[in-house]
Amino acid sequence: MKGEKDNKFHAPGTLVLAFIFLGFFIALYFINWVMLSGTWAVR
Amino acid sequence: MNITQESAFRTCSVTGLRVHLPAQKLIITNAVAAVVFLLIGGILALLIALTRWEVVQLLPADLYYRFLSVHGTVMLVFWIVFFEVAGLYFGGTVLLNARLLRPGLGWFAFVLMLAGAVMSTLVTFAGGADIMFTAYVPLKAHPLFYLGVILFAVGALLAVGLFLATVIVAKKEKRYTGSVPLVTYGLIAAAIIAVFTLVSGAIVFVPAFLWSLGIISSFDPGAYRVLFWAFGHPAQQINLSAMVAVWYALATLTTGAKPVNEKLSRFAFLLYILFINLGSVHHLMVDPALSQANRIFNTSYFFYLAVLGSLIHAYSIPAGVEVAQRAKGYAKGLFQWLVKAPWKEPGFAALAVSFVIFGFIGGTSGVIQGMQVNMIAHNTLRIPGHFHATVVGGTTLAFMGLAYYLIPLMTRRQLVGKAWASAQPYIYGVGVTMLSLGMLWSGILGVPRRTYDIAASSAGVAAPAYAGSDVTLAIMGVGAVIAVIGGAIFVGIAVLTLLTGKKMK
Repeated sequence: MKGEKDNKFHAPGTLVLAFIFLGFFIALYFINWVMLSGTWAVR
Repeated sequence: MNITQESAFRTCSVTGLRVHLPAQKLIITNAVAAVVFLLIGGILALLIALTRWEVVQLLPADLYYRFLSVHGTVMLVFWIVFFEVAGLYFGGTVLLNARLLRPGLGWFAFVLMLAGAVMSTLVTFAGGADIMFTAYVPLKAHPLFYLGVILFAVGALLAVGLFLATVIVAKKEKRYTGSVPLVTYGLIAAAIIAVFTLVSGAIVFVPAFLWSLGIISSFDPGAYRVLFWAFGHPAQQINLSAMVAVWYALATLTTGAKPVNEKLSRFAFLLYILFINLGSVHHLMVDPALSQANRIFNTSYFFYLAVLGSLIHAYSIPAGVEVAQRAKGYAKGLFQWLVKAPWKEPGFAALAVSFVIFGFIGGTSGVIQGMQVNMIAHNTLRIPGHFHATVVGGTTLAFMGLAYYLIPLMTRRQLVGKAWASAQPYIYGVGVTMLSLGMLWSGILGVPRRTYDIAASSAGVAAPAYAGSDVTLAIMGVGAVIAVIGGAIFVGIAVLTLLTGKKMK
């Protein structure tokens, strides 16, 4: 039983926060290039 | 007083921590010096931001560049390093139940640092060093500017050495058993990075000093840039390591959190020591002094191992808080632990706000733009937007949060204005967020950094319009005003506590 308890995932909320951060980073990365392409357009 | 005797210690009636009295004096003195420089830098920050906000443009051009030069050095070096020295003495003595090895050396180091900081600041205010934070040669400042920075760097180096020696002797004297606490471990990592940084600072400013005196005829700008960036950016990596150590301390102090995997957290600090300084090479991306392979490896591969360290801390700290909160019974659903967190506790508020600003704005912008985008973004306001999120929103706010506990513990005075202290991290956080986002967005629109007048109205040429920058610069300006108000609240609380706080036993 002790082993079963130890295997329990203790911080599920933090894992969700980590994925929110990942999503934010991915969105920011692409927004970054889109906006930069507007400012420094190759003409 | 015999500093090795037990009579040289007192025990805090609230925390049970034992405080070495000679160390206590040095901690208070260094922290007071730090707050004074924070005040100076904060006033200048307001004036500079209200000048960069084109609609206001408060200062004339000469004063703007002068104040920007002082602001950079005062905030990025003097405020932070004085506070870090106070933190090192705290982590090396109070957290280890140990004595400060040579208090006299600590005072000598403080005098050198203070003399250097005052000299450098006054010379720049007097117009002797309008050369910005980077001080790139062949821009030449008055010799006393360089001498001031050298004295400060040598003093800080002595303080770091004293901290490391104190930790080693504490182990020999069996003041603690096993490994040092994680917070002290993080401070040791910061100290090791500091040794590299400060030695580099001395190496670059000594020849610059001799060149300014005319003793050597020239100083190769390429060599200067390489050496300077072994000092300039690594100085911020000391902040990073110290800030993360403070985050762990605040998490424990306010929620009882413990790292979910302490060995992994220690490994993450090791990654900082080994790799974080290599990121400095991004300042030299177009510099012919370095090979292409050097630039690519340091900025595109090795640096990300340090980012991995930050990601480990970024998970470990909130996970530690979550585990501690769930153990208290806040275990409902995914986020009850977070909703029920002590949001009104100044330390937790400072931890949470600085953590979010550093991670979501400073960290992401640094990783995205610091390397690949660097080639087109480096001379825009994006870069100040990044480092105001990391150093001001992250490090400075974390240090403020620690100060709310450090000041009562060291001075034995009750914190004045606890309600203000609870609100201060949020006010400051809103201001810094607006400031940083305003800068980042302006930079994306192409607005140059440092430049007094982006319209180039006196140059007689057609400058780019930077469409939309009137809005983004206004966000920056309003954010700066709010952040300065938040900073002023912190300084007010610190000073009033020191002078009028109710005495505790």
